[in-house]
Amino acid sequence: MKYVDEYRSAELARGLAAEIASLVRPGETVRIMEVCGGHTHAIYRHGLEDLLPPEVELVHGPGCPVCVIPMGRVDDAIALAEEEDVTLATFGDMLRVPGGRGSLLEAKARGADVRMVYSPLDALDLAAKLPDRRVVFFAIGFETTAPATAVTLLRARAEEAPNFAVFCNHVTIEPPLRAILETPGLRVDAFIGPGHVSTVIGTDAYRFIAEEYGRPVAVSAFEPVDLLQAMAMLLRQRAEGRCEVENQYTRVVRPEGNARALAAIDETMELRDDFEWRGLGTLPRSALRIRPAFAPWDAEALYTVPGARIEDPKACRCGEVLTGQIKPWECGVFGTACTPERPLGTCMVSSEGACAAFYAYGRLRRPAEEPVGA
Amino acid sequence: MSGSARDRCLTCSDEAVEAVVVAVNGLEAIVRVGVEEEHVAVDLVLDAAPGDLLLCHAGIALTRLEQPDERRAAS
Repeated sequence: MKYVDEYRSAELARGLAAEIASLVRPGETVRIMEVCGGHTHAIYRHGLEDLLPPEVELVHGPGCPVCVIPMGRVDDAIALAEEEDVTLATFGDMLRVPGGRGSLLEAKARGADVRMVYSPLDALDLAAKLPDRRVVFFAIGFETTAPATAVTLLRARAEEAPNFAVFCNHVTIEPPLRAILETPGLRVDAFIGPGHVSTVIGTDAYRFIAEEYGRPVAVSAFEPVDLLQAMAMLLRQRAEGRCEVENQYTRVVRPEGNARALAAIDETMELRDDFEWRGLGTLPRSALRIRPAFAPWDAEALYTVPGARIEDPKACRCGEVLTGQIKPWECGVFGTACTPERPLGTCMVSSEGACAAFYAYGRLRRPAEEPVGA
Repeated sequence: MSGSARDRCLTCSDEAVEAVVVAVNGLEAIVRVGVEEEHVAVDLVLDAAPGDLLLCHAGIALTRLEQPDERRAAS
């Protein structure tokens, strides 16, 4: 594809890997967390860990939006799908996420009207085609996805759509980062900042990481050369005694983000008092709900959702994977009871989940003395 | 956006794709992703024009990318 080849150059990648190796001291350990699930996927897919010196350890972060949705919210979506007049629409990966009462796909098998869409705008179009139903869009995602929902709500109001609503589960990136940064005994030295979230919120949004917590940040794109360059930027900061937010993804990301997208979110949504995250517990002011002015399109205003808190399966260690405390293969059910075909936890559902990414690309490369799923 | 041209999370999450604008009609644009053409909303990138490279996610354009020639001109 045009504009991609230069970011997959083996020669550039080898040069950056050599620079990274020159920026660490033998025997030390530098832990870099990639916040975004897209980065996790790219790291495994391109085998970037194999290019790094043993002194650099990558830690996978909480930035897969499918992975952080707790089981209780999935059950809420199932309850909405089981309302007699509701057609529930959502992204494909959300259909497979297990809740306490199974997944949305299983609800569909039981007779609920559940549809997969690629965009909330598709759900709004679906509502126009199904005038006798109410189409409820199960909205998830960080600030990357919230603008699409915001634009859809604005269009729904402009069109006075009578049978469309949003079940809003959008989350924001700063609170989980603060929660990780405040974890006692934090073992992360630097952060690769998410790329596409940053197109919306801008790089300035991460200054608190450098200024309050003393960890450098490099916002990165998603190709292998991009990610290696971001790692080199972080290690260069460290070597030079700097601690700041740098932007590797300058071809897309601006310091201030996209003001129009932020305005659309702000017009349609507001912060909830708190929200439960898988693996991180309940975090204050970490998720968005629909503003009262848009109540006619708010599923939580139109229907009663159970709102129950459901414990994760005991064998599932998604929470520890999401916060970088363990690697996917250290979970006892990885690759055995929990596979992409039959996921127990969310990290195995989305291809951006650390477990699914490692299952797809990494598990066969680990040495025989470190058996996966053992 | 359909996910056929991609190998990552097909439908959601933090993934966005770069697409070239083929035509703009009001708040809708036809964009090319690889060899496929798709529709995206341009409510958030109002000055989108044919030839522009857009970053698209969940059916909308999030931002306009700098093209390589612009980057060279700016440097």
